[in-house]
Amino acid sequence: MGTSRRQFLTLASMGAVGAGLGLAGCSRGGDDGGGNGAGGGDAGGGGGDGTALTFTWWGNPVRNENTSALLSAYQEANPEVSIEEQPGEWASYWDRLATQTAGGTAPDVIQMDMAYISEYGARGALLDLAEHGIDVSKFVEGTADSGDLEGQTFGVNAGINTPTVMVRKDILDELGIEMPDDTTWTWDDWLALGTEISEASGGEVVGTSTFISNDAMFSGWLRQQGKELFVSGNQPGFAVEDVVTWLEFHQQFADAGAIPTASEITEDSSVAFDQGAFIVGNTAMNVYWSNQLQAVAEASGGDIAMLRFPSIDGDATTRKAWYKASMLWSVSATTENPEAAVELINWIVNSPDAGAIELAERGIPANTEVAESISADLSENQQRVLQFINDIVPELGDTPIAPPPGGGQFGTLLFRYATDMLFGNIDAAGAAQGFYDELVASLGG
Amino acid sequence: MSAISELSKLKTRRARTPEERAAARKEAGRDNKAGYLFLLPWLVGLFAFTLGPMLASLYLSLTDYNLIQTPEFIGLDNYARMLEDARLHKSLQVTFTYVVVGVPAQLALALAIALLLDKGMRGLAFYRSVFYLPSMLGGSVAIALLWRQIFGTGGLVNQVLQLLGIDATTGYVSDPDYALWTLILLHVWTFGSPMVIFLAGLRQIPGMYYEAAALDGANKRKQFVRITLPLLSPIIFFNLVLQLIGAFQSFTQAFIVSNGTGGPSDSTLFYTLYLYDRGWANFQMGYASAMAWLLLVIIGIFTAVNFFAAKYWVFYDD
Amino acid sequence: MTEPTTTERATEPMTEDAADEPMRAPGASRSGSVGRSLLKHVLLIAASLAMIYPLVWMLVSSLRPTEVIFRTPGLWLNELYVDNYIYGWTALARPFDWYIVNSGIVVLGAIAGNLIACSLAAYAFARLRFRLKTLWFAIMLMTIMLPYHVVVVPQYILFNNLDMVNTFLPLVLPKFLATDAFFVFLMVQFIRGIPTELDEAARIDGAGHVRIFGQVLIPLMIPALATTAIFTFIWTWSDFFTSLIYLTSPDMYTVPIALRSFLDATSGSNWGAMFAMSIVSLVPMFLAFLFGQKYLVKGIATTGGK
Repeated sequence: MGTSRRQFLTLASMGAVGAGLGLAGCSRGGDDGGGNGAGGGDAGGGGGDGTALTFTWWGNPVRNENTSALLSAYQEANPEVSIEEQPGEWASYWDRLATQTAGGTAPDVIQMDMAYISEYGARGALLDLAEHGIDVSKFVEGTADSGDLEGQTFGVNAGINTPTVMVRKDILDELGIEMPDDTTWTWDDWLALGTEISEASGGEVVGTSTFISNDAMFSGWLRQQGKELFVSGNQPGFAVEDVVTWLEFHQQFADAGAIPTASEITEDSSVAFDQGAFIVGNTAMNVYWSNQLQAVAEASGGDIAMLRFPSIDGDATTRKAWYKASMLWSVSATTENPEAAVELINWIVNSPDAGAIELAERGIPANTEVAESISADLSENQQRVLQFINDIVPELGDTPIAPPPGGGQFGTLLFRYATDMLFGNIDAAGAAQGFYDELVASLGG
Repeated sequence: MSAISELSKLKTRRARTPEERAAARKEAGRDNKAGYLFLLPWLVGLFAFTLGPMLASLYLSLTDYNLIQTPEFIGLDNYARMLEDARLHKSLQVTFTYVVVGVPAQLALALAIALLLDKGMRGLAFYRSVFYLPSMLGGSVAIALLWRQIFGTGGLVNQVLQLLGIDATTGYVSDPDYALWTLILLHVWTFGSPMVIFLAGLRQIPGMYYEAAALDGANKRKQFVRITLPLLSPIIFFNLVLQLIGAFQSFTQAFIVSNGTGGPSDSTLFYTLYLYDRGWANFQMGYASAMAWLLLVIIGIFTAVNFFAAKYWVFYDD
Repeated sequence: MTEPTTTERATEPMTEDAADEPMRAPGASRSGSVGRSLLKHVLLIAASLAMIYPLVWMLVSSLRPTEVIFRTPGLWLNELYVDNYIYGWTALARPFDWYIVNSGIVVLGAIAGNLIACSLAAYAFARLRFRLKTLWFAIMLMTIMLPYHVVVVPQYILFNNLDMVNTFLPLVLPKFLATDAFFVFLMVQFIRGIPTELDEAARIDGAGHVRIFGQVLIPLMIPALATTAIFTFIWTWSDFFTSLIYLTSPDMYTVPIALRSFLDATSGSNWGAMFAMSIVSLVPMFLAFLFGQKYLVKGIATTGGK
């Protein structure tokens, strides 16, 4: 059959086109070398006997630029190290990291989140940093063990965070409502204030965004009663009854009109940060992490007061606050250069040079010396955060353990049941039971 | 004009004896070598890139696999678990509603607009492009924002209703009673792809058929029923089958509009959204794989029924 | 063919059908339908507004400072804020055209691959008789029934073993091997709609399969090929997940990945820049459609000569 030869030629030419494209692809941006070091990952370390590291993080263009500068500075000081950057964006970052980990090609240095550290750490995907010489000796108390899991260090604090209640002072002033005293306010004061705002504004501004499914607030409230969100052994540190009480407390907010409607809450949960009800001025209070102050202030354009979350006793020193790692630095268990990777992390968290580039972009540095060295260069809002972090030292309780595998979904899970209750489809007891059962089933993977 | 005369020329050749036809068919029956040669790229792709991962996922469906540790064989446990999983059942219900309402509505609109646009009128290229626009934007992040701008509590729809004196404050995207319907609407709104395929199909119907029919005195309605519909039926069939498969797997729009949660109250928890939630957010890839194979079976049954039914209404010239 | 139903009303305005079409029947245009034509245009324009609203909204948003995008209702612009375009173009590691070129390489490769490989496979399925054909066809359909999210990991491991991660190959090579069953099936349906007399005639004239395929069918398949090219362009151009998984270094990023880098779930996103670059990235898609759709209106009537 005369067709076969032509057929073959067609196929061959197809292959050639494909290969050509592939080659074009491989060389794209790969060999402009320089200090930047991006690209050319397959080259096997480029310089021959040097050390090649891959480095991944999530962020926005500002952080990406910062981080690139950070890594360039490190490579300049350590010419034998070449770093391949793999920036990402939060929502899709975890899909890629999971795929790479499954494929055995996880990047050497990984920006990690508390919600995921057990998922990876407990399953052997992360390196024990303590074993490879991580240095947290200068870290402020309560931050050195952020990424510890059953005696191993799977991550090191990349910036301090603490949960806060942010209030639109300008709105309260306008309504003639006094700011609460956050050293003495209680959870019930929050409800009363929220109700007052909603009433004073005639519904124009709702008292507070809901914190019904906020794991930090639930955790703080539990800790003030001597309980915890999670205890070791992949167990919740509370009982169903606690959830019932919590949900019933929030039903009071809903009944008093102190929080938005169930529908609005759902809407608020799926919008981007800068479209949130609080940011656009529809609510006067909301829970944020301390290092979000800058972003909240900028996006809302309002006068933002940053308050301590309340206590049961009306005394802030009993509120059992804690420092949370805004994010952590981890190293893949499959890295070929554990020492080099840990050394890089040591430099990032402990060197004033690195601090001068990073400033407080990832949160206030845990290393007290670094925090001090950069304080003068911080923006006004970042200085406020630093002040706040320092002020609450007497109010700190023990550092909570990292959520176990499956625990990272806590907020999502509680939100589903809580909104079901707010929509009136289920009562508090039913929602609490459903939530608790599903949580227990999903813990420990 | 040359093509038409060529076609007419060919038409005259149609008068072949049954023996000639049989011979032609028999000859066509000996295409093994050519058949596999033409199929070769596809076969290579199937064995190199497609079949392996598919079979791997079939195996993973029989394991406990968290993406990080080695999969652990657990037999049919994942499948047994699906029987008890209330959220999975909810997601099936949501998906079926979406498919049963969304697919016919979208196809009907696509066909109607395609018929309307299939003529030489002023501004045709403009209309075609404009009607395809939503499909270009369909999967982009901006759509999620837009959908809330339109169907949110203070969105466009409510603003219009308020102008009409109706006190409308429902957040359609965030109310369990409406959320799914806004997504169905979003699906119908992105009718551009089937429309383009219909347009291409309409273009392929030889004009001489209509001329002949017109000479026979057939009116437009008859021409539509006797020529357009049957000759377009393979394309209608294609759109039906593929849109069905696509709708069962619908993911992106629900994901971006609900921010991956399937909320409110699981009212937009599409099957693949739940699958993604299990596999990627909860690191249960074994279970997710089992879910995927259940979906394959469901889609397979629907497709098979379609192919069976096609014998009665799809017209092929071969 | 379907039995004509005589009970139909004779003057059904259903469609002003093919006879009005100049290309098909020159000079057959009827007058007296000006009013109806006007009504049709009014309806079409109204529908167009619903279609075009999102684009206008995006365009308007791209010309507003990020801080006011979600606080300003309506589509009215008091000033044109073009900084989004300037910032968006330059804010990432490379100027934005770099990512457009990356996407361009992937898209052109994918189009070439799909056009060649899918049409070959479609010819086999539609016109040739060979053993196990039904089985292969069923398998082909099966490959698009399995949700993508469960084959990602095995596929990633495969491409990783082939050392193709962080190249464009995982995005392009499979297209040359007809892995997009959608288009194979599409072309099968189109080929089956082409009268077999055409290739039988060619066969009697002594043509082999390659000639029948290349000289008889391909010209007649222009609408299907154009559809394939348009869809491949648009789907590949906006494909996020595959690029995310396989293209790890910023220099390899395609447009959708670059667009996402403007967003940040935990602090402020640069919506203005994101919208601005989204508009920029829509231009090639729109042009591709505008160009491609010309071939949708050139059917059998103008091609298929020699």
